[in-house]
Amino acid sequence: MPDLDDELMERYQKGDENAFTLLVRRHQQPLVNFIARFINDRDSAEDLAQETFIRIFKAAHRYKSEGAHFKTWMYHIASNLCKNELRNRGRRDRYRVDNVVNSGNDSDGDAEQIDLIGNAPANPAYQPEVALERKELQNAIQKAISELPEQYRLPLVLRDLQGLSYDEISEVLELRDGTTKSRINRARLMLKEKLKPFI
Amino acid sequence: MNCLQVEKHFSAYFEDTLDYQTLQTFEGHFAECETCQAEYTRFQESVKAVQQLPQIEPSPYFIPALQQRLTTEERETRSIKDVLTTQWQQLLDVFRRPKWAFSGVFALILAAAGTYFYQDLRPGPVATTPLTKQVATSPEVFPVQQSRRVAADRNQLLRGSVISTPTQPMQQRYMLKQVSYTTTSTSGGL
Repeated sequence: MPDLDDELMERYQKGDENAFTLLVRRHQQPLVNFIARFINDRDSAEDLAQETFIRIFKAAHRYKSEGAHFKTWMYHIASNLCKNELRNRGRRDRYRVDNVVNSGNDSDGDAEQIDLIGNAPANPAYQPEVALERKELQNAIQKAISELPEQYRLPLVLRDLQGLSYDEISEVLELRDGTTKSRINRARLMLKEKLKPFI
Repeated sequence: MNCLQVEKHFSAYFEDTLDYQTLQTFEGHFAECETCQAEYTRFQESVKAVQQLPQIEPSPYFIPALQQRLTTEERETRSIKDVLTTQWQQLLDVFRRPKWAFSGVFALILAAAGTYFYQDLRPGPVATTPLTKQVATSPEVFPVQQSRRVAADRNQLLRGSVISTPTQPMQQRYMLKQVSYTTTSTSGGL
């Protein structure tokens, strides 16, 4: 039974323009989140996410639902674009942690949190000190992720932030299952060491 | 199982995907090793902290901006397609010209090809002089020898020596002698 994405792609291949818009609406948020977390730059993340959709748009007529899943295909394109972007940046280490962390304000959880802080909530979890502490931890986590080697960072982001299965990650990265599993475990262990002062 | 081996299974243990036998060995070591217990606790907390990071939302302009880029892309692709189609049409138009013009061009090509092949197939001029004479008189008969001689002359010239007169065929030598004799006798007579 084909999933909704495959069905939408089929409809788009048959000339239904709205099907593509629906696909974009369904995947824009996870895609922007994935790219922003992976390259640690929100502004470029939107550009790259748009570029991913343009590539999909151009190659849509070649897409066959039996061969691959839309989601893994999309992440495969996006991760290649991200790798190219990072390669182009070279060794400049333009990590914009603040940019990504500030952008977290847009997310539902944080928006709610800020709103509640503004209304002086009774819940201690939303007290300014707690919020600040949480923010610092998020900064540290994002920094730690961005410091991981690319080959470990990519599967970790796909697994722990995007929630992809090991099979899907192996498909996206064109790796064997064993390699994917060991890379994710290694990435988590590295992250644990980096977050030692905070956790 | 030692501490390093246990560490390799942290993710699988966290996700509850260890097979029964590995789980037994893992838990056997885990129950006795306080370091591994502490490390696993930190591991678990850091993974949970990563998983709880807030989702980054795209800006409200994401879709309009994408639509604009898609329109531009589509327009560019169309213009390239148009150029290609126009060139292809121009090429095809040649074959759509009036039949008489096309047949005229075709006839001309046929005539030119026919003349060319006829010249190639026609036998060459029949030699009237005996072969030995041709060999002796004509310098074109042995082009290789001729070219070698030219090369030798050039080498001599480069070395600064006098160019030796090539051996003349019998008839030419005779003629030269005659000419010199005539010249000498005339000058002597005068």
